[in-house]
Amino acid sequence: MEYLVDLAEKILNEALNRGAQDAIVRVQEKVYESIVFDNGILRVCSISRVSGLGLTVFVGGSVGYSYASIVDRDSIPKIVDEAITVAKALEYGSEKRLVCEEVKGARGSYRTEFKVNPFDVDLETKVKLVSNLNNESMKKEGIVSAFTRYGCEIDRKYIVSSFYSKVQVEVVAIGLSHLAVARYGDIVERVGDQKTFIGGYEFIEKFDWSSFVNEINDLAYKASQASTITPGVYQAVVDNELVGLLLHEAFGHASEGDAVYSDLSVLKGRLGQVVASEKVTIVDDGMVSGGYPVPFDDDGIEKKVTYIVKNGVLVGYLNSIVTAKKLGQIPTGNARAQDITFNTIVRQTNFYMLPGDAKVEELFEGIDYGVYLKGRGAGGGQVNPALGTFTFGVGPSYIIRKGEIGELVRSVIVSGNILEVLKNVDMVANDLNVSTSVFGGCGKMGQMVRVGDGGPHIRVKKLVVGTR
Amino acid sequence: MIDIDRLIGKTLKRAEELGASEVELHVVEEKSVSIYATSKGIEGIKKGTIVTADVRVSIGKKVTVQGCVVSSENDVLNLVEKAVSIARVVPEDPNWVSLPRNCGYTTTFDLVDDKVKVFDIDMLTSIVKEALRLPPQVDRRASANEVVVDTGVIRKWIANNYSVNPVSYEKTSFSFVVEVKASEEGFESSYYRYYNAPTLKEFDLEAMVRDAVNIAVATLKAKPIETGRYNVVFMPTVFAAILRALLVPAVRADQVQKNRSPLARKLFTKVLSENITVIDDGSAPNMIGSAPFDDEGVPTKRKTVIDKGVLLTYLYDTYTAYIDNQESTGNAIRPGLGSPPIPSATNIIVIPGTKSVEDIVKDVRDVLVVYATIGEWLSNPVNGNLGATVTNAIYYRNGEPIQPVKGVAISGNIYRLLNEDFEELSKEVELAGNMLVPAVCVRNVAIAGEKSG
Repeated sequence: MEYLVDLAEKILNEALNRGAQDAIVRVQEKVYESIVFDNGILRVCSISRVSGLGLTVFVGGSVGYSYASIVDRDSIPKIVDEAITVAKALEYGSEKRLVCEEVKGARGSYRTEFKVNPFDVDLETKVKLVSNLNNESMKKEGIVSAFTRYGCEIDRKYIVSSFYSKVQVEVVAIGLSHLAVARYGDIVERVGDQKTFIGGYEFIEKFDWSSFVNEINDLAYKASQASTITPGVYQAVVDNELVGLLLHEAFGHASEGDAVYSDLSVLKGRLGQVVASEKVTIVDDGMVSGGYPVPFDDDGIEKKVTYIVKNGVLVGYLNSIVTAKKLGQIPTGNARAQDITFNTIVRQTNFYMLPGDAKVEELFEGIDYGVYLKGRGAGGGQVNPALGTFTFGVGPSYIIRKGEIGELVRSVIVSGNILEVLKNVDMVANDLNVSTSVFGGCGKMGQMVRVGDGGPHIRVKKLVVGTR
Repeated sequence: MIDIDRLIGKTLKRAEELGASEVELHVVEEKSVSIYATSKGIEGIKKGTIVTADVRVSIGKKVTVQGCVVSSENDVLNLVEKAVSIARVVPEDPNWVSLPRNCGYTTTFDLVDDKVKVFDIDMLTSIVKEALRLPPQVDRRASANEVVVDTGVIRKWIANNYSVNPVSYEKTSFSFVVEVKASEEGFESSYYRYYNAPTLKEFDLEAMVRDAVNIAVATLKAKPIETGRYNVVFMPTVFAAILRALLVPAVRADQVQKNRSPLARKLFTKVLSENITVIDDGSAPNMIGSAPFDDEGVPTKRKTVIDKGVLLTYLYDTYTAYIDNQESTGNAIRPGLGSPPIPSATNIIVIPGTKSVEDIVKDVRDVLVVYATIGEWLSNPVNGNLGATVTNAIYYRNGEPIQPVKGVAISGNIYRLLNEDFEELSKEVELAGNMLVPAVCVRNVAIAGEKSG
């Protein structure tokens, strides 16, 4: 990657010399180690490397982006030419600057601290860990299939821009995921979960993976013996693992500046309006503990804490330098790209609800018949921010009867409306939890980026609950 | 530029020198141009080239795959060294037999479109501008809020120590998405249509935009309906998404072998209605999943997976075929860099029925016609349980639209819905990514909507 860093400033200067009003050069190298045991057999043991360079140019009122994996001094003119040529082909002819005037690029660096470099740990040790967990799972009662995965990613970026950005970021994320499929009679059910740390192999060494995997196996087997919930509308307590998924789908995407600008968000034109109960405050924070570190965005802008909802009122959107200009707002450091084959779009970083003051047990009081929705095994979600309709999967959950947690139910999904769901939050607990994943992330326009999400336990007056 | 043929030769030789029993090299060069527009106009354009390589080596029964983005010839040679060193230390795979020994070609048509290949920016921008211009002309309440055109040229080479020469092909891809928004009296709705195929042959911009506008407008005042059980027509793109989430994983041989498929031990038994025939065709003309060979070089082919409701075969790559003492069905797909191939669908074709959607809606009397859902991929392939949330639907009674619907959760099990609860397949079919399918009408779908159940 070093030779690409050397070339980055040369490419930036070349782009500006050749007529770009503004330009951003992003150099990236991602290394991903993956070890997978599937039903006792090693299926993947690989270290893959993705690297290259991307150039964004702002010229003549339009945006051009070019990228290449094969880059050397001789190919600089070609990369610059491609970006400028495609931008000029749009022939907008405007001299208006596309990024906001007051944009101030960040200068600095961030590096994940670690004690043990995961790539220094010998392969046999890692293979043995995953093998043991997977093979032990296959011996458990009721488990008919088990898929166990170790993942470690080092994501290095170097970004320079015409607005003086010069940032270097290196994030190390490491973790383990496990999927158990259980059978009871004719009923087959699955539960998957993962645990990710930002740091080195010391986290793998310290964590009790045996208990983690066993809990998933047990839950899968219990779920295969549980009944399904009757579809309908329920009063619900949402746990602090699931609440982040709810917020990400129900509110995060609709608050993204590009959706707002292109009139594809129901939150457009609602700044200053009440969109949630007064107990709800939501932020997007690049550096919260437990989340995925985003100290600077991929346009080289510092990512600060952004308030989206304050005491129930919509107070902000997430913006890149481009959407900020279009919406007349300030950049919030939310321009992100999956890798060099994509230009940046507006993305969440770590989107979560601030804790309230209720104790978790107080949330169940007074619920005559409801559901306790759990995050373990949830599996993800999706939203159409223009319609305001969202959905997400839920792990095995529990019926609530007269304030008490009752029987387990399996195969749950939730559907809802962005403008209604957070207005129905009537209690917020004090147990904030934020987490991330090295195995997945958020998908938008064909790009996947690592994100974090979270919040405390919350109580919702009504949610549409279905099965899957 | 890198001379790929020379690199292949050097790679295979290097692996042999290092002591690999077998070696396979998979190289992909992908050039693309993409244009993104909103209702305000074209927002950006990107162009680039990326070359990736995967190396699979075995030493006895120890196997590994390593992958990287290629910036120089040395990257691939380093990859081989890394692969061999890792293969020495990983545990044996008792199921490993061999890399494919039958690499070759199937004749394919409509895999390359010269108009797509030249990356004519003027042509692409004119498509985008037309997609932005048309919606208000079809209906004044409509606008195109997002238009994306993505074109690519993919060149692929695969070689292993059993093949005399590498196999290679070139393929183009053209993808188009238009999201239309409709607004009236404070109500808003949106609906998108997409096209994704190697050529422009079946691309009908005006028809797609018109369709998107009509559905966005027709579902403007959508709201949830009451919780209950309904007859439902899943329109082709929704049916395709359901098959992708639930049926495709269930017929993958690896999932069957790993006890993650409800279709395990169901070969030659009736698993769906006798009205349903499902074909996997890796060489179908102008379908995005087509190629002369699969991702490990085995010739693709057309096979009937479910014939009149009876399960005839699973989808195999070489590894899973050896386990079941079968031949590969040419269904190896590489899910990502450094991952071994897995068996999965190439293109899925469902043989259509004889009635039009209009007649089905009239005949069934009470029916919810679902045009779009989100979250259908959250469904559970290990047991066939469907779960999705409706974003665009219309409730019909006696053939008349009664109420547009959104925000309800639909549930059911596809092996019941497409069997005892199956009603009809439409005669109209649509291309939905790598699927060519009709609409399907089923009974007894559980819907969670307005009131408690």
